[in-house]
Amino acid sequence: MGLSQVELAVELGVSRQTIIAIEGGKYSPSLPLAFRIARFFDVPVDKMFDPEKEEER
Amino acid sequence: MTRFTHSRFLAPAVVAVAGSVLAGAVAMGHSWGDAIITEIVTLLLGICYFVLTRSDSDLGAIYGRRADERQRQVLLRASRMAFVVMISAAFLCAVITVALGDNYWQADLIGSLGGVGYLFGMMSFGAHEDDAVGIERGVMAGRSTSSQESDTF
Repeated sequence: MGLSQVELAVELGVSRQTIIAIEGGKYSPSLPLAFRIARFFDVPVDKMFDPEKEEER
Repeated sequence: MTRFTHSRFLAPAVVAVAGSVLAGAVAMGHSWGDAIITEIVTLLLGICYFVLTRSDSDLGAIYGRRADERQRQVLLRASRMAFVVMISAAFLCAVITVALGDNYWQADLIGSLGGVGYLFGMMSFGAHEDDAVGIERGVMAGRSTSSQESDTF
C-alpha cells in the first residue's frame, strides 16, 4: 500500500508509537480503534485482529 | 506528529508553581540564597518539561496532553507503579521511624492519604449497578444481560 507509519497514524488519529506497538503485537487496540483500522484497510475486523492467533504468537 | 497548543504549557506550569511554592518555603525556613537556587532549578526543570512536550515520544505526548488510548494506558500503568512505590516507601519510612522512636506521623499521613485516594478512585471509576443504561441505549442494545444469577446453565 506504500503507506508510512506516520501517515497511517495521522489517518487513524493515534501516535506513530501506537502504530508500531500494534504492528509488533505489543498492544491490542480498543474496539473503536480496531474498527477504524479495519475500515481503513477495507478488511473485516475479525480477519484483521484475531485474539486466538495473537495468543499463539 | 508534533502540535503546538496551549496544553503544552500545563506540565511546565505545574512544575513552575510547585517549585515556586517550595522555594517560598525554603525562603521562610532556610535562606534567600537557597530559595533562589531552588527557583533556578525549578525554572530549568520547567524548560526541560516544555522541551519534552514537543518530542515525538510517549512521554512527550503524555506531558503535552495529546496522548492516544495506548499512551493513556501507559500513563495509567506508570501511575499505578508510582503509587505502589510511594505507599511502600511511606510504609518503610513509618517502620524505620517507629523503630527509632521518632515521629512517624508524616509517613502515616502519606500512607493514609494514598489509601483514601485509592478507595475514592475505586468508588468513582468502578462500575456500579445503577450505571446500567438499559437495553435500548447501551452498546449492547437489544442484547440484554441480567445481573441476577441463574440457577441453571
